[in-house]
Amino acid sequence: MEQFKKKYVEEAVDLIADLEKSLLELERDFENKNVIEKIFRVMHSLKGGSAMFGFDLIDNFTHHLESIYDNVRTDKIKIDDELLNITLDAVDHLKSLLNEENTINPNFIHTHEQKLEIVKQISNKVLTKNTVQNVQQKIINSNYRTYHIYFKPDVNIFKNGTNPLFIIDDISLLGFSKAFPNYSGLPEFSEIDVEGCYIAWDVFLSTSEPFDLIKDIFIFVDSECEIKIEELASFNLMNDDNFCSFLTQMYNDGYKIDIGLIKSNIKIIENDFINKEISVLDNNRNENVFINREATISSIRVASEKLDDLIDWVSELVTIQARLSLYAEHNADSEIGSIAEEVEKISRRLRDNVFSIRLIPIENMVTRFQRLVRELSHELKKEIVFETEGTETELDKNIIESLNDPIMHIIRNCIDHGIEDSETRISKGKKVVGKIKLKAFYSGTSVYIQISDDGKGIDISKVKKMALEKQLITDDSILSEKEILDFVFLPGFSTAQEVTKVSGRGVGMDVVKRKITDLRGEVDITSEINKGTVVTVKLPLTLSIIDGLLVKIEHSHFVIPLASVDKCFEFKHEVFAKNKTNIIYAGSEHISYTYLRDMFDMQDITPEIESLVVIEFNDTKVGMVVDSIVGQYQAVLKPLGAMYKKQDIVSGATILGDGTVALVVDPIKIINKVIDN
Amino acid sequence: MSVNKTNEIKSYLSFRLSEEIFAANVYKVLNILEMRTITKIPQAPDYMKGVINLRGNVLPVVDLRIKFGLPITEITVDTCIIVLNINLDGGSIMVGALVDAVKEVLELNDEDIEPAPSIGTKYNANFIQGMYRVNENFVMILNIDHVFNTDELINVNETADKLNTEEIKE
Repeated sequence: MEQFKKKYVEEAVDLIADLEKSLLELERDFENKNVIEKIFRVMHSLKGGSAMFGFDLIDNFTHHLESIYDNVRTDKIKIDDELLNITLDAVDHLKSLLNEENTINPNFIHTHEQKLEIVKQISNKVLTKNTVQNVQQKIINSNYRTYHIYFKPDVNIFKNGTNPLFIIDDISLLGFSKAFPNYSGLPEFSEIDVEGCYIAWDVFLSTSEPFDLIKDIFIFVDSECEIKIEELASFNLMNDDNFCSFLTQMYNDGYKIDIGLIKSNIKIIENDFINKEISVLDNNRNENVFINREATISSIRVASEKLDDLIDWVSELVTIQARLSLYAEHNADSEIGSIAEEVEKISRRLRDNVFSIRLIPIENMVTRFQRLVRELSHELKKEIVFETEGTETELDKNIIESLNDPIMHIIRNCIDHGIEDSETRISKGKKVVGKIKLKAFYSGTSVYIQISDDGKGIDISKVKKMALEKQLITDDSILSEKEILDFVFLPGFSTAQEVTKVSGRGVGMDVVKRKITDLRGEVDITSEINKGTVVTVKLPLTLSIIDGLLVKIEHSHFVIPLASVDKCFEFKHEVFAKNKTNIIYAGSEHISYTYLRDMFDMQDITPEIESLVVIEFNDTKVGMVVDSIVGQYQAVLKPLGAMYKKQDIVSGATILGDGTVALVVDPIKIINKVIDN
Repeated sequence: MSVNKTNEIKSYLSFRLSEEIFAANVYKVLNILEMRTITKIPQAPDYMKGVINLRGNVLPVVDLRIKFGLPITEITVDTCIIVLNINLDGGSIMVGALVDAVKEVLELNDEDIEPAPSIGTKYNANFIQGMYRVNENFVMILNIDHVFNTDELINVNETADKLNTEEIKE
């Protein structure tokens, strides 16, 4: 334990230093959200660690500090110089708290209590505002019961494939809990069966669920375990700071749980509970804390920079692996050939795994939309159901985070402008209840999120009229429906007759488009009058590695994302040379094509036989003529950087096995260019 | 030795573009690379020569001769790519600069550097931090951040010509 404690202190010193730095950064700019988030995070980690290693004073103290910054980051209180001073003072205090000798000194304890009081007061300042929540929380509290569960699995439990930790996890899902392992059943070292389970658990659980539900958890292991469930109190003990620290203290002293002692302690708390006004939002915070703590059993929190680092290294590995494969290819040694093959297999798998770490299902953001639909439809007195499909589709965490706002906005538009009110719907012969559907699915290396409604749709003629008024087009412009609909993405373009609180100011769709373009995504809109509108958002699945087709022109290599490649053909150069229309009959259809050599301003020395790569997007097929096709290639996408930000047909570069740079072309941009011509 | 702003010694790396000698503060210089294959990026300005692989990263390379409107000379064994650290739009990026030859590191006092003549186009004062005289020739000390922060071509010839004519007058 001592060595872990030492490790913790080291970590805490780092964290406190971090905290100090961030606070000073905050002093320069009170509005800096990133810094506030960081401060909150650091406090949270500090708190987590201190509770685990028995630094209860720090735990309690940071808990209140954290509450303050939780309020700051959710804009419940404003940060000012005074608050900053207090926090910085508190940080200094934390440093001295780390020295355990101090905590025995009565004078020091006195100052500690004073400081704690100050911090407490501030953290309570806002809490009083939320009286509604106060009442609710109290009701919930009174439904809670606290149980002590003693769970001793059979020695042979692993042989059945049961993991007792999963059971502990299940228990923790029922409410607030704390689990303590009990090592008393551990035999002498020489007698230990490495595959046996000797540990029992004491779990303290506060839950509003019925007793039977707890019993149900053990339903499959009933016969193989010793289980005792006992009700300790008829209220929520687990959010009582005193009780929790008492438990931790007792456990740390002897690694044993003495139920008799606990019961007598509960009696005292019980009396307190009745008499004492409890600080309620505080409990609310506790709820989060406990969930987090229990979740650490099955998952670890890792700083996202570490993941970014890992991804960088894997990308490097993939690059170096390509070099190895290339070397193996040019060497007759069969040994190195098979090694290279193995390495390729493993690195491919490693790549997929590492990338999946950052993926989370979009389900995580759907709840928010559900609430939005519920509240907004209520406010506007429209009846709307919100359906989802494919919410298990996973996307990079960073993408999901930046996707929230734009999708929120699209849904808001659906509710406000799309879906009609009940009377109009009846008169149009539609179902009274409107429907908004969010559908997500994979296609190639992209994820599509489609938001559709069955409302009144967008009136194309109205959009056209607006475009005329704003002099974006002239009377004689001939535009496709799609081109007209694209106008809604322009800034300040709204066909809504009246500006409502919800939307209609024409700021919005342009922001949606910009945000999604920032994510290397695309947004597309189709609409049919009185049938509804469909907004499709297309996003890249991963941000950095793609499967591509490596092609060659002159001495330069290019990578075409494999997902958009349809077919490849070979033709003699004359076929292209004689062709004046830039349309060729390939396979069984006519395909318009472009000479990449021309597009890329390269010299005109063509080989006798050239290759035509047909790429496809949105049912549009376009051919690209290249010198030759090299093969399939895993490309680690590297950005071209700020110096090339104006460049659009190349979406990035990748490093080939021999160290040269190949450019990754953006097939969609090429298709658009060909069509424009 | 007392060090203050006026007589602080700074190091500058001098290099040759066509017939002119330029210099950049060494703390901006990260690396000097031998000439290697540059992958051209289509539809980019001429002076954007392309990209190279620098230890697994993609490094843009700028042909300073084109950027400065100087005549292009053949690639020789002396042709180098200087890797520079540039502040661009608030961030810092790495850029390679193609030069005809790298000369030497000059240790200069601030007082050795003469201010850039305020003649010719408005760019000069921005891009050229100052001049240093070596015998009959001038070394133009570049303000490297500014050079890479513009998309425009810079006509240094004008400055050079002007200097030479002034030289004759003297």
